[in-house]
Amino acid sequence: MSETSSTAGPSAGTAEPGPAGKTAEQAAAELDAAIAGIEHRLAAWAAETGAALAAMSGRVTGTAVDKLIRPVVEELVQLPDGYAAGAGFIANAGLLGPERSYIAWWQGPDLEPVDALANFSPNSISRYVKAEWFRIPVETGRAHVTGPYVDFLCTDEYVLTFTHPVFTRPDGPVAGIVGIDVTVQRLERGAMPALRRIGARATLANADGRAVVSAASDIDAGDLAAPDEPCRHYPVGRTFTVWSAAVGL
Amino acid sequence: MLLSPKGASRSLAAVFTPIKSRGLVDEVCSRIEQAVETGLLTSGQRLPNETELAAALGVSAVTAREALSQLRASGIIRTARGRSGGSFIADNVLPSRERALAQLHELSRLQIRDLALHYQAIAAACAGVAARRSDAADIATLRSFIPAADDDPLNWRLALSEFLLEVAAIARSARLARELIRLQADLGTLTLLPCADSGYRVRTSVILEEVATAIEAHEPVAAEAAVKALIAATADWLLTEQAKRY
Repeated sequence: MSETSSTAGPSAGTAEPGPAGKTAEQAAAELDAAIAGIEHRLAAWAAETGAALAAMSGRVTGTAVDKLIRPVVEELVQLPDGYAAGAGFIANAGLLGPERSYIAWWQGPDLEPVDALANFSPNSISRYVKAEWFRIPVETGRAHVTGPYVDFLCTDEYVLTFTHPVFTRPDGPVAGIVGIDVTVQRLERGAMPALRRIGARATLANADGRAVVSAASDIDAGDLAAPDEPCRHYPVGRTFTVWSAAVGL
Repeated sequence: MLLSPKGASRSLAAVFTPIKSRGLVDEVCSRIEQAVETGLLTSGQRLPNETELAAALGVSAVTAREALSQLRASGIIRTARGRSGGSFIADNVLPSRERALAQLHELSRLQIRDLALHYQAIAAACAGVAARRSDAADIATLRSFIPAADDDPLNWRLALSEFLLEVAAIARSARLARELIRLQADLGTLTLLPCADSGYRVRTSVILEEVATAIEAHEPVAAEAAVKALIAATADWLLTEQAKRY
C-alpha cells in the first residue's frame, strides 16, 4: 500500500474520533490514496491515448495501436508497488473501421497478449459491447469500476476492472477504452493491514455494497454486506467505501 | 526417508503420475478450433499469416507454421495461393451433427455418466453460492441467456453453456468457473445433439426458468436441484441416443 496520505476523511461517523479514530482515518486515507492512484493514472493514460490517436488523423492501424499501448502496459504491470495484473486498450467500432474492434491488452509480468485472436475476427466487437467494463464508460463517457467479478475473457481471476473512455476530440464519440485489471488477491494483500487498523470488521465495499476485502472472517469477497451500527464510512477512490464495521447479508 | 502413513499410497501414486504435456502446436490448434466452435472465427474467414499469428499468440513462427499445417490436415482451414491467397477457415467446419454423433459413439456409457456427475457437482456448487450472492442485475443477465424454444440448435447450445457460465459468474468463484469451462470443453460438440430435439428444448427451458427463479429467491437448495436436473436431462438424452448404437 502506498505510504502517501491524503486529506480525505470520513464522510459520516458515529464513533468518537479519539486516538483510535485518528489511526483509522489515517488507514482509510492510505486505502484512498492507493485506489485514487490507480484512477488518476488511468485518467492520465486515457488523455494521452486520445491525443496520440487524434494525431494519427484517422489512419489508425492495429500495429500503431500496439506500439502506442504496449509500453504503458509494460510500465504498469511491472511497477514494483503497482496493482495492475493486466491492462490495455480496446477500440470502439469505428476507430479502425466500421464494426471492427481492436484489442491491445496484455497481462502478467511477461506481457502475455489477451484475446489476440479476436483481432482477426470480423465480429469481435460483439464480445465487448455487452461487457460492463466496456459498455458503461462508452455509454456514459465516464470512468467506471467493474467488479469484483470473475473475468472469463482475460485473467480467469477474481478482479476489479478500472476502465476509462478515450476521446480523440472533446465532443466526439468514444474512440475506445483504456483499462487496468486489479486482482482481488493483490488488493487483499495491500488493503488488509489498513483494514485491521480501522476495525476487526472493517470492510472495503464497492458501490453495490459488495465486499471486496473484509477484515471480518465471515465476509468473503463477493458477498453482499451492509454497514453495522455504529459504523464510520470512509470514501475510497471514486466509488468505494470502507465501513468500519460490516455485517454480511 | 519417512514411511508414508497408512492410506497415503494412493495420494503418492498421484504425485508420481507422468505429466502429459501437450505441445505448443497442439495448443495453438486447439485455440483456433475453440474460436471456430464459439463462432469467433467463421467459415470463409481469412486467418492471419504465420508471422501475424506467431506475434498474436506469442509463439515462434515455426510453431505457427506447424499449427497451420496441422489445421489444414484436419480440414479446419484451407489454403489458397496467389494474390488473394492465404489461409481461410473451411466452409463446412461448423460443428456438425455427424461429428458430434461420432464423438458420442466413441464414449462409453460409464464415461458419459461420470462426466455428467462431475459436471453436476461443479455446476450445483456454483448454483448454491450464486443463490447466496445474486443481485437484481445478475438475474437480469442470467435470464437474458434463456433461449426461445424455437431458437436454432447452434444458438441453443451456446446459450446453455453461457447460462451455466453466468451462474458461475454470479457465484463469483474463479476456481469453480475455470472448472466449469474445462468440463464444457470436455463435453465438446456433444451438447449440439440434444439441442436439435424440440422436446429437449421445451423441457430444458422450463428448468432454466426454475434455476433463475431459485437463484433470484436466494434458495440455494432449490437452485442446486434445478441445475442438477438440467444436466441430468442432457445426460439422459445422450445415454438414450447412445443406446441406439447397440
